[in-house]
Amino acid sequence: MRALRLAALFARPGAGSRAALVLPIIAFAVVSSLVLIVLAGVQVFFSWSDELAGFYQVLAVIALALLIVPLLGLGGSAARLSARRRDDRLSTLRLLGATGTTVTALTVLESTVLALIGAVVGVAGYSALVPLVGLVPFRGSALGAGALWMPVLEMVAVVVVLAALAAASAAIGLRTVVISPLGVRVRQTAPRTHWIRLVIGVVVVLVTVGAVSLIRGLGGSEDAMIAVILLTLTLGFGGTLAALNLVGPWVIGVFARRQVKHAQNAQRLIAARAILESPKAAWRQVSGVAMASFTAVFAGTGLALAQSAQSGADAQTRELTADIRTGIILTIAISFIMVACSVGVNQAAGILDRRDLYVSLDRLGMPIGAMDASRHRAIMSPLRIVTVGSALCAAVVILPLTGIAMITAPLSVATIAVSLAAGIAVVWLGLRSTRPVLTRVLHEPERV
Amino acid sequence: MLPQHGSMNTPQLRADGLIKSYGDTTALAGVSLSINSGESVAIMGASGSGKTTLLHVLAGIVVPDAGAVQLATDAGPVIVSALSEAGRAGLRRGSFGFVFQQGLLIPELTAVENAAIPLMLNGMPRAAAQQHAASWLAALGLAGMEDRRIGELSGGQAQRVAIARAQVAGASVIFADEPTGALDSHTSADVMDALIASTTDRGRTLVVVTHDEGVAARCGRVVRLRDGRIVQSRTAATAEQDVK
Repeated sequence: MRALRLAALFARPGAGSRAALVLPIIAFAVVSSLVLIVLAGVQVFFSWSDELAGFYQVLAVIALALLIVPLLGLGGSAARLSARRRDDRLSTLRLLGATGTTVTALTVLESTVLALIGAVVGVAGYSALVPLVGLVPFRGSALGAGALWMPVLEMVAVVVVLAALAAASAAIGLRTVVISPLGVRVRQTAPRTHWIRLVIGVVVVLVTVGAVSLIRGLGGSEDAMIAVILLTLTLGFGGTLAALNLVGPWVIGVFARRQVKHAQNAQRLIAARAILESPKAAWRQVSGVAMASFTAVFAGTGLALAQSAQSGADAQTRELTADIRTGIILTIAISFIMVACSVGVNQAAGILDRRDLYVSLDRLGMPIGAMDASRHRAIMSPLRIVTVGSALCAAVVILPLTGIAMITAPLSVATIAVSLAAGIAVVWLGLRSTRPVLTRVLHEPERV
Repeated sequence: MLPQHGSMNTPQLRADGLIKSYGDTTALAGVSLSINSGESVAIMGASGSGKTTLLHVLAGIVVPDAGAVQLATDAGPVIVSALSEAGRAGLRRGSFGFVFQQGLLIPELTAVENAAIPLMLNGMPRAAAQQHAASWLAALGLAGMEDRRIGELSGGQAQRVAIARAQVAGASVIFADEPTGALDSHTSADVMDALIASTTDRGRTLVVVTHDEGVAARCGRVVRLRDGRIVQSRTAATAEQDVK
């Protein structure tokens, strides 16, 4: 009951915390819209029952695997955002004597409500997008808006699952406040990412490569070959992604330490120190691009293999190839939308979280361009590491397939390059779109 | 050895007829003020009296709706309020220094990195900037603490880092907004000692916004604001005459 009463008080935001409420709602709205669109697509594929239906369903499941993990990741970020954005007030509550249980209950309640509101807005967004997505052609004709409508119960289920995810993430995200309020209010030491992550990551990659080789040896009939390729891609993707998530923060930390050592101007020094403050957070901000970069390599390989299979093929095979291409492009496009959303929300929140710092730098005479340069560097530097690293990891894990693709169809290389460039451009745009937030913070420091 | 600055009794900062409003609220309603080189001035007043706005206008952070602020520099007088955003930012990097209530230091940086930032913003190479910043930290009693992060320092030590940062680039005027507002009385006295010793004692000008009579008493002149107007300007000498 105490948590409910406090939640009611916290629900009346001041001007400063309005953004803290709006940003997670936007993030959850995007997440639920995309989840519903993806599930609707999968639903269409599973409504078919002809001889090729099974193949399409396997492709749908792979696309789902590619998208659901980063989608849930973005959902988790949104949940952590809604929880962490209120650290200060919650820490103060702890210092004033509120129990850990009260603080946890209050935070979980708030995050869940924000997620629910966002998810409901997302349902509206999905409804608005359905006519547009219905125009996408599969099997020679448009999917049609009618086929993409999800049953109401399934929509409710998506909303409930997202709210549950928000609740769980909020509880985990706030653990540090509950354990030690001062640990959050006064950041005394920079956390270090342990090298053991590298060791575990390498082991995961080796196990994945071994398993992939084992599966490749299973070939036989044409159907079996398709299954082997799909299994290779699925296992390669899952295993390497897990390894990337382990190694990514550690690698970013190592690079940031080097940058701190060699930084010669204020922008570079501040950017490098900001990354080093939390390599895990830096990784989270750009890991969406790691997924997209990784997906791009797989997509390029898939397109190339599909294209080489097309020579002398019948109409049905050509249609299948075109559909695979459409599916791959859709998957990448949705990945990039997630990245753009994630970077935009995280950056806007970052500026608001650190508004005192930006105001102090402005008063010291640091030009806004220099602040922006520092902010861009803190994102783009890990981004470069992550993009190149992820692409290389993917290429190595399915090396024979990428090798064949590069020889038989240079289109794959072009697809990869364009996809990566698009991913970086999207992140840049996401960053650029948050400059007005910084400008507003500097012009009205007391009012934002 | 840290540098000495200007001489007393030379008008360094002059404000004429400053007016500033935020919506329907008038923060400054025609403030005129002249501050001499090497002088220390405390600006006092109740919350909402306009003292922080006055400090922001004097420092070129905020542009007044009417009136002008003039700064005397080696190259001649500069109308601060007429400068562009970039021009005022340049002035804040070179001629002005700031000490805030909470320090507003960058928590991820070490003490010496924080103090070196203004020099690096002015284009000085990092090694030289940090060396110069370290000498300021040492002069303020923080020798051996250069590599500590801000979270590892006490409130008083962090304020000393802020004082070093405010002056490391050779600022001739230091603006301090409630510099001891977050400190206990003993630490407040130490921080004011450090602030006075490193500013007016070296010929620099100090402008302090404060609620604390004890802090104001350390300054050569106290200016009191009410409803955006100066209602009293009293120097230590006139205060002594009052007492007699």
